[in-house]
Amino acid sequence: MGERPENQANHPDDPPLLTVENLSIRFRNAAANTVDGISFNVDRGETLCIVGESGCGKSISALALMGLLPMPPAEIASGRMVFDRRDLLTLSPKARADLRGDRMAMIFQEPMTSLNPAFRIGDQIAEGVLRHRSISQADARRRAVEMLDRVKIPAAAERLDDYPHQLSGGMRQRVMIAMALANDPDLLIADEPTTALDVTIQAQILELMRTLQEETGTALIMITHDLGVVAEIADQVAVMYAGKIVEQGPVDAIFDDPQHPYTIGLMSSLPSLGERQSRLTTISGMVPTIETMPSGCRFAPRCPFVHETCIARAPELTSLSRNHLAACHFAPLEAHVVEAV
Amino acid sequence: MLSFIARRLAIAIPTIFLVSVFVFFLQKLLPGDPALVLAGEERDPETLAFIREKYHLNEPILTQYFYWVSGMLQGDFGISLRTNQPVLELIGEKLPVTIQLAVMAMIIAMIIGIPAGILSAVRKGTAVDYTANIIALSGLSIPNFWLGIMLIMLVSVHLGWLPASGYESPFVDPVRSLETMIMPAFVLGTALAATLMRHTRSAMLGVLKTDYVRTARAKGLQEKVVVLKHAFRNALLPIVTLSALLFGELLAGAVLTEQIFTIPGFGKLIVDAVFTRDYAVVQGVVMCTAVGFILMNLVADVLYFLLNPRMRTAL
Repeated sequence: MGERPENQANHPDDPPLLTVENLSIRFRNAAANTVDGISFNVDRGETLCIVGESGCGKSISALALMGLLPMPPAEIASGRMVFDRRDLLTLSPKARADLRGDRMAMIFQEPMTSLNPAFRIGDQIAEGVLRHRSISQADARRRAVEMLDRVKIPAAAERLDDYPHQLSGGMRQRVMIAMALANDPDLLIADEPTTALDVTIQAQILELMRTLQEETGTALIMITHDLGVVAEIADQVAVMYAGKIVEQGPVDAIFDDPQHPYTIGLMSSLPSLGERQSRLTTISGMVPTIETMPSGCRFAPRCPFVHETCIARAPELTSLSRNHLAACHFAPLEAHVVEAV
Repeated sequence: MLSFIARRLAIAIPTIFLVSVFVFFLQKLLPGDPALVLAGEERDPETLAFIREKYHLNEPILTQYFYWVSGMLQGDFGISLRTNQPVLELIGEKLPVTIQLAVMAMIIAMIIGIPAGILSAVRKGTAVDYTANIIALSGLSIPNFWLGIMLIMLVSVHLGWLPASGYESPFVDPVRSLETMIMPAFVLGTALAATLMRHTRSAMLGVLKTDYVRTARAKGLQEKVVVLKHAFRNALLPIVTLSALLFGELLAGAVLTEQIFTIPGFGKLIVDAVFTRDYAVVQGVVMCTAVGFILMNLVADVLYFLLNPRMRTAL
C-alpha cells in the first residue's frame, strides 16, 4: 500500500465532491429499510471503499447514487445526496441523466453481461462520448481508441470493431472501465469490479484502476467485500452491515484499530501468512433478513460482546478520534476490555 | 455463411422427403378408389382399366410413389381432374395471391404487434400494459371467420367503403387490389399481431432486466435510446424468428379467410380440391405449402444468423 498525496485537488474550504446524508432506501412493502441512514463524504480524487457482505445494501446505495435504482419498487425513504453542489434528489430526470456517464460513471460486477452483445465495443464507448459531448462520429471513435489504449488493451485500433463475445472477462472489464472514464468523470463508482474475475486478472484490473485514478484525479467509490482490495486502494473506508454503516474512517485507522465487533470479525476472518495457529475464524450466524431485522443493534444476534443495551437500543455512529466513527455502545472497546479484566 | 445455408438445406431435404411420404400415403389411406372417382358416373370396366393403367394404379404402391416423386422432380405435378389444367399451372396462378395476402397481413401484424409489445413491456403493470394484453387476448380469441363476416357487414354492406369480395392483381390495378385485400389482410393480421405482441412483450421484459441495459442507462442515454436501440436490438432475435414462422403458417393457414372473402388463393384452391376429390391438386398444394414452410424456417435461421454477431463472427 503506497503513500498517496492527501486529497491533491481539494482545498480545505471546498465542500466534498459528494455528500451523502442520512440516506435510507426502502423497498415497497418491506418491513425495514434496506439501507438505513447512511452518511459519508467523498472528496475529489479520493477513494472510499464500502465494505460489507452480500446483501448489506452497498450495491443498492451505489445504484441509488447513480439514479439507476428501479423506483418503484425501491424508494428513497429519507436523506440527501449532494454531488458537486447539486442536490441529486431534486434534479429532474433529464438533469440526472446528463450527469450520468458524464460527471459520474459506474462499472459493474459482471463484465461478461454488462456489455451489449449486439454492438461493437468501439461503438459502445463512442456512444457515451457522443451523448455528452458535441463532437463528430470520427472524433468519438478516436476517443474510443484512446480509451482502449489507456486501459491497456493491445492493438486498440483493431479491437474497436470486436464484439464483446470476442473478448475475455478481464478485457471486457477493461472496456467497461474505458467506457466509464471516456468523459473524464469526477466520480467513478465501481461495484465489485474484480469479483467475477480470476485472481491474477483481479490484481491487474485493480492496478489499472489505481493508475488511471492517479492520472485522472477521479474520485472513486469502490464497493467490495474483499479486504485485500480495501488495503490496496482505499483512502477512506466505510464498513456496512445490514444496511447501516457500522464503522468508518481512514484506512489506517480501520486496519490498525478496528473498533466495531463486526469489523474486528472481518479482520480476523482474513487468512494470513505465517505459522498456522488455528482454524480460520468466522463470524457465527447469518446476516438478518429484512423481515427479521432486530430493532436494536442489527449486529447484536451475531456479536460476541452482546449486552442487554444492544438488544434494546440501536447504537449511533460516534466519533472515536479524528474521522474515525463506530456504531457500537461499547466503543472504544479497549476501555471495556480493561474493565472486564 | 454459404456453408451455413448449405447445412440447413441439407437438413431440409430429408424433411421434404418425409412430407412427401406422408402426403402420398395418407391420401392412399383415404377410403374410396380414385379410379372410380375419375371414371365418374359411367364406371365402365374398360374405362376403369384404362384409368388404372394410365395412372399406374395397378402397380405396387412404392412404384406409384416413385412415379409421383419423379414426376414432381421434373416439374410434373399431374393434371387437375376438375379443370384439366396442370397442377403446377394452378399453383402458379394462386400462389401469388396468397403471398400478397400473407405479406399484407404480416405488415399489419408487425405494425400493430411489435410497438404494442414494446410499450406494454416498458409500462409493465400499468393500465397501458393491461389494456394491450386485453386487446391481444381478444385478438387471439375472436375467430377469424367471425371478424371477417362482421367486417364485411360493417364496412362493405353498411358503409359501402370496400368491396366485400373479389380479387384484382396489384399489377393490373394496384388501388383496386389494395381495396379487395385490405380487409382479409386485416383479419389475418390482427390475429397474428396478438401473438407477436405477446412474444415481443416477453422478449423485451427479459432484455430490459439485463446488465447491459443497465450499462446503457449508466451512460446517461435517453430512455428512448435504451429501449429502442439497446434493448430492442436484442429482443429482435426471437421476434424475427417467430415472424418468419408465422409467415410460413399464413401461406397455408388462410383457408377460412380466403373462403369468406372469396379470394382465389391457395386456401380456396385446396378446399375446392378436397371437396371435388381432385387428388393431384391436393397433393401438389400440400407439398408446395410444406416446402414453403420449410423455406420460411430456413429464412428464420438465416435471419437469426445475420442478426446475431456471436454466430456471424464464429465463422
